[in-house]
Amino acid sequence: MKILILIAVLIFGSSAIHPVEAQSNIIEVGNKSPEIKLPSLKGDTIALSSLKGKLVLIDFWATWCAPCVNEQKELADLYRKYKHADFTNGKGFEIYGVSLDAKKPNWETFIVTNKINWIQVSDLKFWRSPVAKTYNIQELPYNLLVDGKGMIVAKNLHGADLDNGIAKFLLK
Amino acid sequence: MSKIMKTRILAFLFILISTSVFGGEPFISQPQGDPWTQQQLLDPAELARVLKNPKLPQPLVFSIGMEAVIKGSIEIGPVMRSQSLNLLKEKLTKLTKNAQIVVYCGCCPFASCPNVRPAMALLKSMQFTNYKLLNLPQNIKVDWIDKDYPMND
Repeated sequence: MKILILIAVLIFGSSAIHPVEAQSNIIEVGNKSPEIKLPSLKGDTIALSSLKGKLVLIDFWATWCAPCVNEQKELADLYRKYKHADFTNGKGFEIYGVSLDAKKPNWETFIVTNKINWIQVSDLKFWRSPVAKTYNIQELPYNLLVDGKGMIVAKNLHGADLDNGIAKFLLK
Repeated sequence: MSKIMKTRILAFLFILISTSVFGGEPFISQPQGDPWTQQQLLDPAELARVLKNPKLPQPLVFSIGMEAVIKGSIEIGPVMRSQSLNLLKEKLTKLTKNAQIVVYCGCCPFASCPNVRPAMALLKSMQFTNYKLLNLPQNIKVDWIDKDYPMND
């Protein structure tokens, strides 16, 4: 009996590990962006896949991350600039902000005070968030640009590189 | 300008911004320099080894950042805020000066972390003799969670 249990653990244990390893290797330009389904401030779940058809910036950030906080103003400018633009690979631009905050009041206060008007979701699990594992996030800030079909078209661009990275897909 | 200097300036600006964003919640002034020695940095593998073996003397582990991820650690909160720093002080006052203490944050590298310096400066000023800073060069995910070291539920 013990041997049977051991065999079962070996079989199911290893199969449980492999998908995670496989997932962590696929966050590359040209590959599909894994689904994210997380609650917004209001508590309703917003799926990344619901933005299909648009060019989407997935912004991984947190209020405790100094460079992330500093970047939010630039994101506001980009959102204003490209929100209604048409791209070769998407109609309109959206930002899907995923926060690795641990406490809701910090997250909520920042969003409200800074009048952030794009999508914000979080499971409030800090670095333990399963999304951080799925997306193999090593540090913040971290972002991905995803096209209308959900394919990753750029990885971790910031500042002028991010602006140019979005602009290059504009319909001429 | 070196990368570390740039990061420190960013961290300083962050604290200024946060002060206004979080509605004037009191923030402490950051100590200058790194108030620890190389010998006071504790390797995560060593702490994990001790935590996995209850027969070994167990240190008191304080989370002085966003969340108490490490198994058995005590949540203090981010000590960049005076309320959390006061709570840490309160807990430390009850301990003997040679108590085995470990503090950690793990939000980000030390250069940009607003919590490690106030905690280590406090321990130093209270004249503790056996305290360490957990050496998480990147963050708690890369240097602890991803290594499957013991975690709180």
